[in-house]
Amino acid sequence: MDWSVQRHFEDVEAGQEIPPVSFPLSVYRLVVEAGANRDFNSIHHNSAFAIASGTDEMYANTTFLLGMWERTVREFIGLGGGIRKIAGFRMRSFNYVGETVTVHGKIKEKRVEDDQGVVELEVWSATPGGVTVGPGTVTVTLPRREPGESLRAA
Amino acid sequence: MMSDDAWKAAWDPVVAAVGRDFSDGASEGADAVERGLVRRYLEPLEFDCPLHYDDAAAEAHGYGGMIAPYSSYLAFAVAPIWSPGDAPVFTSDERDAQPARAAIRPPASGLEPPYTGYFATDFEIEFLAPLSLGDRVSRSGMRLASCEPKETRVGRGAFVGWEWDLVNQRGEEVAQIRVALFLYNPRETSSEQAVEAAAAGRS
Repeated sequence: MDWSVQRHFEDVEAGQEIPPVSFPLSVYRLVVEAGANRDFNSIHHNSAFAIASGTDEMYANTTFLLGMWERTVREFIGLGGGIRKIAGFRMRSFNYVGETVTVHGKIKEKRVEDDQGVVELEVWSATPGGVTVGPGTVTVTLPRREPGESLRAA
Repeated sequence: MMSDDAWKAAWDPVVAAVGRDFSDGASEGADAVERGLVRRYLEPLEFDCPLHYDDAAAEAHGYGGMIAPYSSYLAFAVAPIWSPGDAPVFTSDERDAQPARAAIRPPASGLEPPYTGYFATDFEIEFLAPLSLGDRVSRSGMRLASCEPKETRVGRGAFVGWEWDLVNQRGEEVAQIRVALFLYNPRETSSEQAVEAAAAGRS
């Protein structure tokens, strides 16, 4: 990821897709994640426990799924962007170990509020079985370009 | 199952309590924002945004130094499982034994009728301020926002919404959170079907 390039408000348009980011889920990764975000519910790192609760396998926890959205959005808005709100984060089905979760997004709308460039992104997570989280809305800000300014390093 | 009126009526006390604050006051997260904890948070996400580890990069973008990832606010609000002076919580060597006190528990009013299943269905967070090194997050309030008894394919229960704020050690609000859970007594079905059915029931 090249963090030296900054996307600006003027560079984006409604309907534009943001680059997807994939997250392969192994047992190892889920265990590291549980330790990192402190959601130690056994359904997220213990296959036997998860299966006994009626699921097919252990599955990714909510904070991990939120983090996937944040990374995907941050890589699009760059260091100069801001994240205001995540809404519509609806968990539709489990994201199991042994699957790859891919976060997708596209721009719903853009507007100027108090001289700030505000962008609404539609974001969702999917596995090969379909959409697992969302679609929700992530509200972000992007820096505005000065008149005559072109794409430049941050 | 109970008659239609009976199972719905069992949720009446919760419906009547919508708007009440059920905070128990015990709300501080286990750890302050620390460089090492942020590094560990970034690791499984393979998230290399310099705002979260490079003070100079963060300062160049208007922050006082490195900041915590926004999605990590939840992690920094999680209570400790055990603290010095507490009674032991790991008291069993059974393979899948749970600690006597979990770090994460579903919000509860104490008015809910008995239920055996639950899962989160919706989540919303609004970020109001960045978290910097040394900041300590606490939960402020625990308001019952909604209660909608509903029978879905998975069983009879209720969608229950909660909202609370996260504040830093200075009492400044850093985020507002809304969560919805489906609390229910299941039919004969798998949890996977339950999640999908509940999500469909809200749509």
